[in-house]
Amino acid sequence: MSANVSGVKHTRGFDVIKPLSIGVMVAVMLPLVLLPLASIFIFGTSKGLPSFWHALVEPEAIFALKLSFVTSFWATLFNIIFGLFAAYILSRYTFWGRNAIIVIISIPTAIPTAVAGFALLLLWGPYGLLGRFLPLDMQIMFTPYAIILANIFVTFPLAFGVIMPVLETMSRSLEEASATMGASRWQTFWHVTLPSLRGAIVGGALLTFARAVGEFGSTILVSGNLAGRTQTAPLYIFSKFNEGQVEAANAVAIVLALFSFVIFSVLFFARDWLEAD
Amino acid sequence: MFEIHEGAAVQIVAVSKHFGGATVLDNINFDVAQGEIVVLLGASGSGKTTILRIIAGLEMPDLGRILLHGKDVTQLPARERGAGVIFQNYALFPKMTVAKNIGYGLRLRRRPRKDIRAKIDELIELVHLEEHRDKYPSQLSGGKQQRVAIARALAYEPEVLLFDEPFGALDAQIRTRLRKEIRELLKKINVPSIFITHDQEEALELADRIAVLHEGVIEQIATPFEVYMQPSTEYVATFLGAANIITGYIDHRCFRCEDISVDLEDDMRIPNGQAAKLVVRPEDVFLRKAENLTQKYQPLTDGIIDEVSFVGAFERIAVRLAFIHDERLIVTRPKTETAVFPLSVGQKVPVGVVRFRVLPDNTREPVARVSAARK
Repeated sequence: MSANVSGVKHTRGFDVIKPLSIGVMVAVMLPLVLLPLASIFIFGTSKGLPSFWHALVEPEAIFALKLSFVTSFWATLFNIIFGLFAAYILSRYTFWGRNAIIVIISIPTAIPTAVAGFALLLLWGPYGLLGRFLPLDMQIMFTPYAIILANIFVTFPLAFGVIMPVLETMSRSLEEASATMGASRWQTFWHVTLPSLRGAIVGGALLTFARAVGEFGSTILVSGNLAGRTQTAPLYIFSKFNEGQVEAANAVAIVLALFSFVIFSVLFFARDWLEAD
Repeated sequence: MFEIHEGAAVQIVAVSKHFGGATVLDNINFDVAQGEIVVLLGASGSGKTTILRIIAGLEMPDLGRILLHGKDVTQLPARERGAGVIFQNYALFPKMTVAKNIGYGLRLRRRPRKDIRAKIDELIELVHLEEHRDKYPSQLSGGKQQRVAIARALAYEPEVLLFDEPFGALDAQIRTRLRKEIRELLKKINVPSIFITHDQEEALELADRIAVLHEGVIEQIATPFEVYMQPSTEYVATFLGAANIITGYIDHRCFRCEDISVDLEDDMRIPNGQAAKLVVRPEDVFLRKAENLTQKYQPLTDGIIDEVSFVGAFERIAVRLAFIHDERLIVTRPKTETAVFPLSVGQKVPVGVVRFRVLPDNTREPVARVSAARK
């Protein structure tokens, strides 16, 4: 068959399905995702930036944001260090009950956060299974420590889930090569294993941090929601909205939304850089 | 107890290893001299990787000892043995440059920075990677990665170099060139080396001695020439090169199978009546009378040409022998001969051999059977 006989370009007829399906998709996704987000910014800035700024620098608002970021930081730090430790042990040793531990570590992802908070209260609360044995001045519930504890409970599987697969699929011969060259286990971990985990660690940390900053369900139960003491940013939004102070709630909501955009962008656009050799 | 051989750089003494119920290695013994290249040749599952890992200290033998330059290192962990391992996929550290990879072993040993730099320079020059010094492994071709792996292992002056199928990931042309390069390099630096491979051609080309491994047992360890010319078992004969196997028995210093009768060579001592196998390489079978042959020719029987095919430098012929019906003898002839004595299918030819081995067959009663085995 000769392709150039006629010289006529072949065209397909107009396909109605294509624009129609794209239209339906946009029509559904727009009100579902983009419009709610847009409304935060539209409302939050409708009375001008000075008013937004004024709502934001309220001491309680500043405190709530700070508390969220600080508790999330400690939860993230714990998750990365202990997540690395757990993933290393579970990927490098085989022992009885190994799979059970992996399942147990992952359970919190499936548990409603309110249930998680409630469970922590039942354990560590002043009348809880273990909490009743703690002296009064060492009670952890309704303090910032409770928030960190809840954050860890809810987000640990995230960090672990990012690091574990990378460690499991990492070629064992890299570590063996390091050992034959004279490295101790710690030197091998530090010089060989850890550099290859850079992407997973940054990814796991960002996921944990983003999730912890936004944590509501478990935090509201274990923190006591005391303004200026144990009220995190999401709790502040909830409380101010309940009190009818929509502007105050909106200002903090904008900060959280912007923050999550930043983290999402890093995770989305910097993935290649993070995972590059 | 074990013997310590003077001059043996590496000694593997009575090493056995089991995984679960399976015997992976069964009483492995061999030495490697300073500067010698020993190739462990075997199919997958023969246990060759396990030997390498045991020498490197990555695996513990159940029984036996490993000696490096006379020192028993069996109980030492990998990092205290000073073995240089070149892994199959090279295992270069992906986040380190070529220079960093090469210097790693020296940095671990806390050598002065100046010395490390000098050593890196020297090794980079040795393996010709001058312009790749600051590249990362992923930016290099397979052959260059391998050279980095070798330089990295040489940096800390290893007691022994262990190569785990080092050419497996490379394409055929590069492989042949690298084999030669590496052999020259190893001879220059005079380090004892052990290679493992399943590639017979590679083994023949690289080795000072080849150890043929089969199901955890060393079937034969000898020079490439000896292993090829005087295989000590049927497995060695068929794994290394192609071989025709004819099953028969010994009768008054003759090998007999049906109407075939071959005189044993003087040095073969196999008792009368013993079941035995005649092993003949395809190139040692001649399909004509003894005329004009300078080699010692022994006629076997008559055969009918069954198939003639041309494979590159050789012609491959399958011959049906007079007394058997289902199996064939494989014969190869160089092109020079195909021109002088052309053969065609159906033609009746005399069949004779110029070189052969007779191996005692302890597993069978004397039965007459001919089988043609190829690689």
